[in-house]
Amino acid sequence: MQLDQILLAIAIAAYVTGTLVLLTYFLSRSELMLRIGAPLAIVGCVAQFAELGARWATSGIWPLTNLYGSLSLFSAMGVLIFLIFAFRYRFWFAGGFVLLIAAIALGYATTWNEGFMPPVPALQSYWIKIHVPLVVSSYAAFMLSFVVSVLYLIKYYGEQRFARGSAMKAAAATPAGSIPVTVRSSYAALAEDDIVIGTPRGDTPGIAAAAESGSAGAQWLATLPSLAKLDVMIYRVIGVGLPLLTIGIITGAMWAKESWGAYWQWDPKETAALVSWIVYASYMHLHTRNAWRGVRSAWISVFGFATIMFCYLGVNIWISGLHSYKV
Amino acid sequence: MATAAEYLRAGLQETVDDFLRLFASVYFAVSLFATWGFFTLIGVVVEQGKTQDFYWANYAPPLARLILRLDLDNIYHSAAYVGVIALILTSLAVCTFKRVIPARLPPLRAVAIDRIPLHATIPLEGDEREIRTRIEQFFKSSGWFVRKRELGGEEWTFADRHNWARRGVLVAHIGFVIIAAGTTWYWARGFSGETAILTGTTATIPQTGAQIKLDRFSYRFDPIQTKAGLVYQPIDYVSHVEYVGKDGVARAATIRVNHPLDIDGTLYYQAAYGFGAQFVLTKDGHVTANSPTDLLKEGDAFSVGGDRALEYDQFVGTVDPKTGRPTADPRPNNPAVVVSMIAGDTKLASGLIPIGASIDLGDGYRLGVPHYRVYTGIQYRYDPGMALVGIGAFVLLTGLCIAFYFLPARLYVKLTGAGRDWSLGVAATTVKGYEVFEDQFRELVVALRRATKRGDTNACN
Repeated sequence: MQLDQILLAIAIAAYVTGTLVLLTYFLSRSELMLRIGAPLAIVGCVAQFAELGARWATSGIWPLTNLYGSLSLFSAMGVLIFLIFAFRYRFWFAGGFVLLIAAIALGYATTWNEGFMPPVPALQSYWIKIHVPLVVSSYAAFMLSFVVSVLYLIKYYGEQRFARGSAMKAAAATPAGSIPVTVRSSYAALAEDDIVIGTPRGDTPGIAAAAESGSAGAQWLATLPSLAKLDVMIYRVIGVGLPLLTIGIITGAMWAKESWGAYWQWDPKETAALVSWIVYASYMHLHTRNAWRGVRSAWISVFGFATIMFCYLGVNIWISGLHSYKV
Repeated sequence: MATAAEYLRAGLQETVDDFLRLFASVYFAVSLFATWGFFTLIGVVVEQGKTQDFYWANYAPPLARLILRLDLDNIYHSAAYVGVIALILTSLAVCTFKRVIPARLPPLRAVAIDRIPLHATIPLEGDEREIRTRIEQFFKSSGWFVRKRELGGEEWTFADRHNWARRGVLVAHIGFVIIAAGTTWYWARGFSGETAILTGTTATIPQTGAQIKLDRFSYRFDPIQTKAGLVYQPIDYVSHVEYVGKDGVARAATIRVNHPLDIDGTLYYQAAYGFGAQFVLTKDGHVTANSPTDLLKEGDAFSVGGDRALEYDQFVGTVDPKTGRPTADPRPNNPAVVVSMIAGDTKLASGLIPIGASIDLGDGYRLGVPHYRVYTGIQYRYDPGMALVGIGAFVLLTGLCIAFYFLPARLYVKLTGAGRDWSLGVAATTVKGYEVFEDQFRELVVALRRATKRGDTNACN
């Protein structure tokens, strides 16, 4: 068994085990699970980068010239960006889902592994070492924003459900339809030591009430960060992904100029990336409006990731074009 | 009494105001983004620039009709698409002047500190002057820009950070404008084209007069065994040329993929290659009048009388001598050409003709292919706006990074009390809401308490 295959096996094993452990942490909030899961995520990520490095060292061929290599980087970067955010913002609750997607991506990548193939002439450029990692890293960041957006939506609709339940129990005259949820935090002055400090009040009173009355689902949802915090996290992750995608598109255009003589050829891959860029640029514009922060922004983030997946895999696999070498 | 001219002026002013209000709206800009994205997505899904027959053959008839009637087959160059981009640029310009540039720092004014969500109150003991000095030192050492004002008989301290970052959006918008200027300059002054040059022949570029002679075209394919089978991976395409530029001096050069040749500022790119084939049509052993005199390239056709024509479809590098069938090896080891007989737009029959052989077409006609020659496909482009586009891209990225990674924030600080009992009120506002600054504010308040109580002025961001 070659070194890269051993490292690949280690990465897959670490991701699969890490997924189970961090999902258990997600459900139980057991610190022990976190202490086991976090190192597994780190081991998987390091093994994957080492595997890509080993492939490069063994063959002398840049490993990101095919879908196998780029999907490997996608999962490795997804986990790396997650780890950075997890350490910085206590983001661990999302880890099980991130590792699950990383494991699936890596498993799927192995089906595209054709061994060591020298790159076609169009890919023999220093730009491949700049453009592809940037674009794939942006996809990885958007994967993370997608995970947090889904968690946001789960909590948001959970709040609607529990708020409706509470309202019915209280026989309040609640009209049919959705219960409005306060997306932004409201703050209350709380004494902390000798300081009085403005502290955010929970923005999911329905979940809080149901959790107090013993609902297991509500108790679990209550352990997630507040909706406002999740919204800020989505914004922060997209704030990493969008500049990366922008630089990726720009470096791609510069490479296209050098390779084909034009910045832009209206190739399906280019235009699909443009669609994704437009979606996330719209997200950033709309996020400046209070009315669009929260659930609407979270749905845009989910839609944005769908366009990313279409751009990344859909166009590569189903639509032929100048990017048909399946990177 | 208002004159007609005044009514007209007022009406015009109202229209202009409505226009500016609409185009400065973020929602309108995002609506344009959505329309742009939708049109672009259509272009990704619907194959572009094909013939009408292609759409009728590959799409359901109602869909093909829709594509052709709405010009969705060439959407990126349609009036609607260009119009949306023009509207976006207009919106960007109006938004820049109406919203981004006028966005000034909020005035230094007294606020009700406990009404601002991010606020804190710290009890302090000590001499007023000493406390004020510690507060000022703390903020200065933490990188805040501190100003003091006497408002309503009370002394206020205002601390600002990253206020310059409010201009990030403006910088990004300027980047877009520079990119647009660069591409417009190319449209106005640049040119592009393509040419195919057969080995041993010379092509003259009409816009520049440059001459390029193809001495030799070389290619390399490596047979590689993969899990899916043997594939012939292209490794290199090289045009070995001799060119003459403005100075009239002949020079030798090579043109490779990713390595264009620069002749007097115009770049020449290795874009394609192919095999020109010589076709000879004979009847009863005599060359016919419509037999082509020049070599044909893939896709070329020549008339054989009436509405019928012979089309050179494809060059086959290697034909298996045992089976007579084309193999996957593109290298010309045992080459042949695929030829089709077409009537109008309908393909009647196809056949494989080995190079150096001929086939019987019936009625005494024979079609032969005595030899072939490699040609190179060169694209060329003169783009005077290239540097501007590069600068614009850099500016755009800088603007995005400023807008995303620097958070302009203001702190309102007021010390109240008397004698040795004081209360320090601090409130924070940012341009991105309160939640995004929550953790930093908490850390800041804790550090401020430590600094003001112990005189410790260690920076804390």
